[in-house]
Amino acid sequence: MAAEVKKGIDTTKNAVPFEMAQIPGPEMAKTYLPKVIGAIIKKSKRPLLVVGAELFDDPVMFDKAIEIGKMGIPIAATAHSVKGFVDRGYMNNVYQIGLHPLTSYLRFEDWKGLDGQGQYDAVIFMGIFYKFANGMFSALKHFNRNIKRISIDRYYHVNANMTFGNMAFNPDDYHAAIDELIAAMKK
Amino acid sequence: MVTTKGSFAVEDMKNVQINIGAVVKEEEEWDQPMGPYPKPGVATLRDWDFKIANRYKIFYAPADDTCTLCTYGPCDLTGNIRGACGIDMAGYSGKIVLIACLMGCCAHAAHGRHLYHWCVDKFGDMKFDMGDEILVDSPTYQTIMGSKPRTLKDFNEGLYYLEEQVVQLLAATHTGQESAYIDFESKALHAGMLDLLGMEICDMLQIVAYDMPRGAADAPLIEIGMGTMDQNKGVLIAYGHNLAAGAEAMVYAEANNLWDKVDIGGVCCTAHDLTRIAEGTGHPSLARNLGTKAKVAGAMGWWRKMVRSGVMDTIMVDEQCVFCDVLDDAQKRKIPVIATTDKIMMGLPDRTNDSVDAIVDDLVNFKMPGVAVLDPKKAGEVGIKVAIAVKPKRAEAKAQSLITEEQFKAYLDKCTGCNECAFVCPPHTTISDLIAEAKKGNLEPFSSLYETCVGCARCEQVCPQGIPVMDMYEYANRLYVKNQKFKMRAGRGPARDTEIRAVGAPIVLGTIPGVIALVGCSNYPKGTKECYDMAKEFVDRGYIVVTSGCMAMDMSLYTDADGKTIWEQYPGGFDGRNICNTGSCVSNANIADAAIKVATIFAHRNHRANFDDIADYILSKVGACGVAWGPYSQKAASIATGCNRLGIPVVVQPHSVMYRRSFVGRADKPEDWMVIDARDGKMQQIEPAPEALLYIAESKEEAMVEMAKLCLRPSDNSIGRSIKLTHWCDISMKYCGKLPDDWHIYVRDAKDLPITYKDMMMKELEEKHGWKVDWKAKKFISGPLRPADVSFDPTNLPRKIRAKK
Repeated sequence: MAAEVKKGIDTTKNAVPFEMAQIPGPEMAKTYLPKVIGAIIKKSKRPLLVVGAELFDDPVMFDKAIEIGKMGIPIAATAHSVKGFVDRGYMNNVYQIGLHPLTSYLRFEDWKGLDGQGQYDAVIFMGIFYKFANGMFSALKHFNRNIKRISIDRYYHVNANMTFGNMAFNPDDYHAAIDELIAAMKK
Repeated sequence: MVTTKGSFAVEDMKNVQINIGAVVKEEEEWDQPMGPYPKPGVATLRDWDFKIANRYKIFYAPADDTCTLCTYGPCDLTGNIRGACGIDMAGYSGKIVLIACLMGCCAHAAHGRHLYHWCVDKFGDMKFDMGDEILVDSPTYQTIMGSKPRTLKDFNEGLYYLEEQVVQLLAATHTGQESAYIDFESKALHAGMLDLLGMEICDMLQIVAYDMPRGAADAPLIEIGMGTMDQNKGVLIAYGHNLAAGAEAMVYAEANNLWDKVDIGGVCCTAHDLTRIAEGTGHPSLARNLGTKAKVAGAMGWWRKMVRSGVMDTIMVDEQCVFCDVLDDAQKRKIPVIATTDKIMMGLPDRTNDSVDAIVDDLVNFKMPGVAVLDPKKAGEVGIKVAIAVKPKRAEAKAQSLITEEQFKAYLDKCTGCNECAFVCPPHTTISDLIAEAKKGNLEPFSSLYETCVGCARCEQVCPQGIPVMDMYEYANRLYVKNQKFKMRAGRGPARDTEIRAVGAPIVLGTIPGVIALVGCSNYPKGTKECYDMAKEFVDRGYIVVTSGCMAMDMSLYTDADGKTIWEQYPGGFDGRNICNTGSCVSNANIADAAIKVATIFAHRNHRANFDDIADYILSKVGACGVAWGPYSQKAASIATGCNRLGIPVVVQPHSVMYRRSFVGRADKPEDWMVIDARDGKMQQIEPAPEALLYIAESKEEAMVEMAKLCLRPSDNSIGRSIKLTHWCDISMKYCGKLPDDWHIYVRDAKDLPITYKDMMMKELEEKHGWKVDWKAKKFISGPLRPADVSFDPTNLPRKIRAKK
């Protein structure tokens, strides 16, 4: 195990909320390696990748999101992030919706999803303003625990089930971690 | 309704006195009958609240998982389980929301109570007169109370009502009282409504007592910006929300011809109110246009930047939005502080009963860092005298306010790049990057992010090297501060009845695409420029844009290519393609009032004691959307909640997730969007409009798309719907590169379609959504949710069904 960790990016370090005062209570997220999260996403029956406007600050992340989308995982483009997909000519399974109404829908078991095919079993957040994503994770943590809350953002997300540790100041490591995750999903 | 009170003795009967609680007589001059709900109690409007909550699902994003409010705790409520007292997470969240709304409501109510006593004491009872063009002069008061105030003293009845309701609501938050989240929210909506009342009372009192503009579209352009403060004079800063002491300082300066020796600047909403003084119809004791002699130093988000800039010589604080470390910041820079209300005394000695000379001597000679002087008149005189006398003595301290180049470089070298600061920075600025660039001699990042900084100073507290980050910002931006000189239109107060008559039909039919109200504080996600961008986008498009508070100030800091601020680019009327500054935080009431006036002046709805009727009208027919893009306070929570109860949707910024509760509709549930057609009582499904009542947006761009969408109303006629869809779609194309996914839901008829996109949309409706199109006639054969019907009269209240004759 230790040897494997050395080969890849250790995303389990720095399990401290990116906004340090965000300590919600006894249940806090665990950090996982990219390959583990990738495998969990792959196993999910109805995953949804949820991306936000921070992708514009690191545009290569749009390409990585599209790579995930091309594996059949629908993308909810929140804020105005849909423009990044329009600009790249990828709109196959991209839906434009605000994170707030999306999370509101996710609370309800009877919601049919963005494609009308049914509620999701895992949401994967990426590129979303930290405090906002944290609040939306909290809503799901308390009011719909049937959906797995996964963060593949560069922050330790305390209200997720699964997250990376903080990597906000190591963009190269973060990019490599996402690449590892994608590779694990392709296995 | 007029009430009189009194007592009298009965002749020839010893020790007998009859007390008259209230003699009530109908007024002849008010043609509206008393509505069903005068002075509504805590549960009176519960049915209306439940209608709101049933359509707009209460959404909680808890900020913590545990409850620690009683000694049973802490209780872990994760997953909506119950604590020891039996409350679940939803109920606990509702309780916190109610407490927050009460905090906000009380801040304004207590402000109003203080102003009431102060104004009546200072000026005596005055006729409540808003001028010939504002006859519906206190719409919120009348809608809630069922009575019309005639004099300043009449507002006492409203304050008594408000205070009693607040006590009842706060009692419900005690452990062992209310438990159901939906009832907490009904109570929070009640608190929000009360807040609208408290704000209106505040503004009406000060408009009349201080002769502020009464709906003046041409209110004067006043100076704004730290650079406008004259450094050759003693600079007195009045900071907060209650104008009493600041106004007395101005009166003292005027009476003693001291304007050549002192400059008075306001920070936060006191700035708005000082600059509105004596700009109305004339005042028996205030110098004409006195308000234009004060300046707006800046919004509260600039506070710590201003303190460090070396601009100010004396600080007077009153109430609300005052940073808790004002005294520390001031003491470090030898700026005397005068606390002027009992709400913020900062541990300072109460010198109210001491002589002015003794207080001034102590402050000017730095014998104490500050004092509390709770008599506004004395505080004003002390403030002026201290500012003038301390200025020369502060010369050295003033020069040291800014760090030197050597110090700046030394701090750059101290930074280890640990990024502890970035972990606590609200906009997540990576300050180590700014420092790395500054080490190379490039100060531009320090400048470009100066406006993004919300001035919280958390970075300084966590820096292991003790680097004063904000001092570094200040050093890097010293020229910016010096040059910060702009113009802002003074707060104009209410919309005039004549303006409402002119815009009522266009608003309800949709041909004016909406009313956008940009209000609130300075905690913007990506800086002050976003205020300007949003206002500019919508005023350019022909919306009625109204603003207030710090947002009005911050949007003044930008100019167009011709060097004009937004106030110089557009007229200040309540009309399309106009932008009006209503005034301070309490002037937000004028925005809610304008919506009520559309219902009562244009549509002839009886508003007297008829809150739910008016709210129902606004929700269904008045395309207004509030935007609080930088709120940080509990006041903002109560204001937004009050607007929601009145049927006005609000968009907030992402930090607002800390308010914990929002209202979002389910567009996928047709049964949630059934309304009554008041013409015949039949149920009619409508498109989800407005889709949300409290919407959190992540980015400015998302917010603008949503603002346009939330102006859609079921009552839009086809021309209006087409105009509204045009702007919504245009904004989405501009910022998102595509049309919204759900535009088709809002199309009832081919005439609804935006001309620009008409053919493309008809094709998409046919091919993607399966609508049947008659291409020759350019009509829909089938597809729309409902037909466009210009006389459709949607309501949520069965009592509005017209009686069949």
